[in-house]
Formats: sequence, structure tokens, C-alpha cells
Amino acid sequence: MNWKARSAFLAAVVAFAMTAVACGSSPSSGGSSSGGSSPKGSVTIAGFNFTEGSVLAELYGQALEHDGYSVQYKLNLGNREVVSKAIEAGSIDAYIGYAATDLEFYNKGAGEASGDVNANVNKLNGHLQSLNMVALNPSAAIDQNAFAMTKANAQKFNATKLSDLAAHGSDIVLGGPPECANRPFCKPGLEQTYGIHFKDFKSLDADGPLTRAALANGSIQLGLVFSSDGDLNSLGLVVLQDDKHLESADNVVPILRSTVATADVKKIMNAVSAGLTTNDLIDMNNQAGPQHMDPDAVAAAYLQKHNYFS
Amino acid sequence: METVVNVIQWFANPAHWSGTDGIPTRFVEHIELSAVSVAIGAVIALPVGIVLGHYGRFGALAMSLSNVGRAIPSIALLVLAFQVFGLGNLPIVIALTALAIPPMLTNSYVALREVDPDIKEAARGMGYREPAQILRVELPLAVPLVMAGIRTSAVQVVATATLAALIAGGGFGRYIIDGFGQQDYTKLVAGGILVALLALVTEGLLSGLERLLMPRGLRLLAAPAARRVVFKTA
Repeated sequence: MNWKARSAFLAAVVAFAMTAVACGSSPSSGGSSSGGSSPKGSVTIAGFNFTEGSVLAELYGQALEHDGYSVQYKLNLGNREVVSKAIEAGSIDAYIGYAATDLEFYNKGAGEASGDVNANVNKLNGHLQSLNMVALNPSAAIDQNAFAMTKANAQKFNATKLSDLAAHGSDIVLGGPPECANRPFCKPGLEQTYGIHFKDFKSLDADGPLTRAALANGSIQLGLVFSSDGDLNSLGLVVLQDDKHLESADNVVPILRSTVATADVKKIMNAVSAGLTTNDLIDMNNQAGPQHMDPDAVAAAYLQKHNYFS
Repeated sequence: METVVNVIQWFANPAHWSGTDGIPTRFVEHIELSAVSVAIGAVIALPVGIVLGHYGRFGALAMSLSNVGRAIPSIALLVLAFQVFGLGNLPIVIALTALAIPPMLTNSYVALREVDPDIKEAARGMGYREPAQILRVELPLAVPLVMAGIRTSAVQVVATATLAALIAGGGFGRYIIDGFGQQDYTKLVAGGILVALLALVTEGLLSGLERLLMPRGLRLLAAPAARRVVFKTA
């Protein structure tokens, strides 16, 4: 390359780099561009890092979008530890939580949660108030932590309920997401409530492909799953009955920053909660999980079918 | 400052030095994954690189192939291999081996190709057959570059073996992934420190090995001028 060609090339590179920098920085000053100008304002909804989290975020988000809000989605943002930090910092406005688990999260595991969902939400709101957050009406849909094993292992341990496992703890490796090791509704709860002292705990994922693979190949014997899963039976897994009621009423409940929770937003989200049942949740999880449909399409189809868009 | 104290206390806690989640167990897991991956990578990369470098042919092809290997993110390969082979160490070893190959292949190719043609000709003139010429003349001269390739691979693999924890594998990555999931930042930082330390130790040990393997002639050439004079007069 001669001198002229080289300087022309350099100039082109510099120009490209400057354009790239200019393009990169402009949207941040102009705010988010996805919704365009929206008369009612913008809401950022986060989803937990499992399929149902995405489905629920899309479900409530699309209802808000339909009523004129500009909605940004942060799907698969992380577990509750991550999502709660994000909403406290104001980088998200809302997430769809679960009454009992969120209560025990914000009261730092004080053990207040019970089988009464309204009591759970009232107590949850007590803890959220000082954080400038609010929980809306709970829906009838419940998704609790549940513990599953293969049919073969259930027969081997002669177990239909969790209390049957107390005598077999030394033969059982428990698998779940890393935080299960510390959460009151997971490993510590199983130890205290049921007296199961596990041989070991294996960090996997929240009811995802790792847990299913580990149950199938025998590297764990008991795995954390969600009661609203659509595919457990077809995978040859059985959920052991929670006969000592470790898990409390974990109804789906939207949690918002107070400044975002206007009367109109509450009305829209409460309407979605009012119609949602556990069976709806199982259906949608089945479509978005085993059937590999997009969570946004699953949520849109549900809202369409139940006339939210009319 | 508080973090530093917490991390020191974490390391001082005897509970973290025993059991299936203890440092010794995680250390062995980490070393096993890394060593197996580097060894398999070496068995594949070194012969190919050495032979191609000796003949000085197909270099561009080998380099491009191994650079494609470098361009694929390890995490993508890891998740893909998990889909195919399921839970266990195999997908991790596959992803890490793919990461280990490029530096060893590239370096051994360049090392052999850069051997002075005059030396090669002298070897042939002295009656060396081709395998002997590679093993006894060219390879010793290529030791510094070949070893640098192995060192780069090993350090990269030790640092990246952290990813194993993403698909339920062991190793020090466990502390990082679990620490993040449990919001236990002390554990997370401790895991990071352990990985970094292990990478540094790997680097140090392989540098030592490189010095041991280097032929006396090359070592003397690399020595300061004063000692070279001593060698000449001796």
C-alpha cells in the first residue's frame, strides 16, 4: 500500500469508528426507543431466569402494552437475588413474584409465610413499604417449589410423600439452583421440617435442563421442580407430596415500584391476575417449555383467548 | 476493606477445606478437567503443528482452522456439547480441548518453520533421516516456542475451566456460580482468587519445565554476554 492509499484507508477506519461511537451513545440520551412516544409512560418488567418467569412477564407486560403503555422486557434477568437488587435500584419497575417466597425473601427468612395467601401478601406489603415497593392482588394461580424423583427411585425408597424420605437421607443427593442451599423453602426447610439429612447437595438450575438431566442420569435422586410444570409426568418423574406443608401459598403476585403503581396500572394488572388459574399456568409453561414456543406468543395467545384484547 | 476481611475469614474457615464442596475437592476437579483437556489438545495439536511446520506446507490452512476454533466462544461450545452429550465431564472437556488446540498448533507450526534452513541442510548433510532430523535437531531448537504455546493453552484452559460450573460441573468455578446465585460475594471473590492463583502457578510451573527442556546450546545463547564469553574460552 502506498502512502496515499494508506492514509485514505486510515481515514476510513477513523471515520467508521467515530460513526460507531456516535451511534452507540445517542440512544442512551434519548431514552429507550422501543415503544416510541407513549401517552401513558413506560414500564420495565423483569422475568426470573426460568420459563415461567418469561411467560408471566410477557403476560402482564402485553396487557399493559395493549392499554397504551410502553413496556420494556428484561427476560431471564436472574434469580430473586438479582431481580430484587434491580428493582430496589430502580433499573426495573416490576416483576411477577410469588407471595410466600417473596415474603420470606424480604423478611429475610423469618418464617411468616403461611397457607393463607391474603395474609402472605399483606405481610409482604408491610416489608415492601419501606423499599417504596408494592405487591398487587395475588392471582389464583399457584406455583410452589416441589420435589420430584424418578418413578424407579420412588419405588426403591417406597416414597409417595416427602416424610417417607427421612430415613433415606444418606442415600439421596438433592439438586436445585445454587440458592436452594440457603432458601428456607428448599434445602434448609427439608432438613428442618422433614428431618432429611442429604448425602450431598448439587448446584444445578431452577427446574431447567440441568436438573432434568441430573435426575435422569442418577447424579441426583431428588430435584427441585415447580408444581406448575407441564412435563413432569411425561419425563417419568413423580412429585412427592408435601405432607408437612413446608411450602406455603405461593400465588403469582405482581410486585412494582410504588411510583409506577398508578391506579390505572394496578387495574390492568389486577385484571390479569383475576383471570389466571394454576391450570392456565401449566398450559402456558407446557407450550413455552416442552413445546418450545416463544413466551411472547404464548402470552399473546392466552390474552387473545381470554378477551383481554377486545 | 470489609470484603478483604470476609475473604480472609472464608479461607480461614475449616468447613471450606473439607467435604464435596471443599477447596481440596474442587482443586482436584479443576486440575483434572484442565489437565485432561490440555493433554488431549496436545496429542492432537502438537504432531500436526510439528509435521506441517517441518514441511512448511498447509500452514495457512492449519492456522485458519485453528483460528476458527479460537473464534467460537467456549461457552457456546460448552452449551452445545451439553445438549449432545448430556450431563458430565465430557462436554466440558470437549469445549476446553477446542480452546487448548489453537495456541499449541500455531506455535509448534511457526517454531518448526522458523528453524534456520542452514541447520536443516547441515543435518541432512550429516546423514540424519527425516524423523531423526525432526526429533533431534529441529524440535530441540523449537522448544521455546512450542512450550510457549503449551503454556498459553494451559493458562487459558485453567482460567476457562471455571465455566464447567455452568453445566453442573465441578472445579473452582462452582464457588463463582454458587456465590453469584446465593449472593454470597465473599465466596464469589474467593473462587476468583483461587482460579487466578491456579493459573499463575500453572504459568510458573510450565516456565520451569520450559527451562529444563531447553537444550544447553540455546540456554547459553540466551544467557548474558559475559557468560557466553566464558563458554567460548572454555
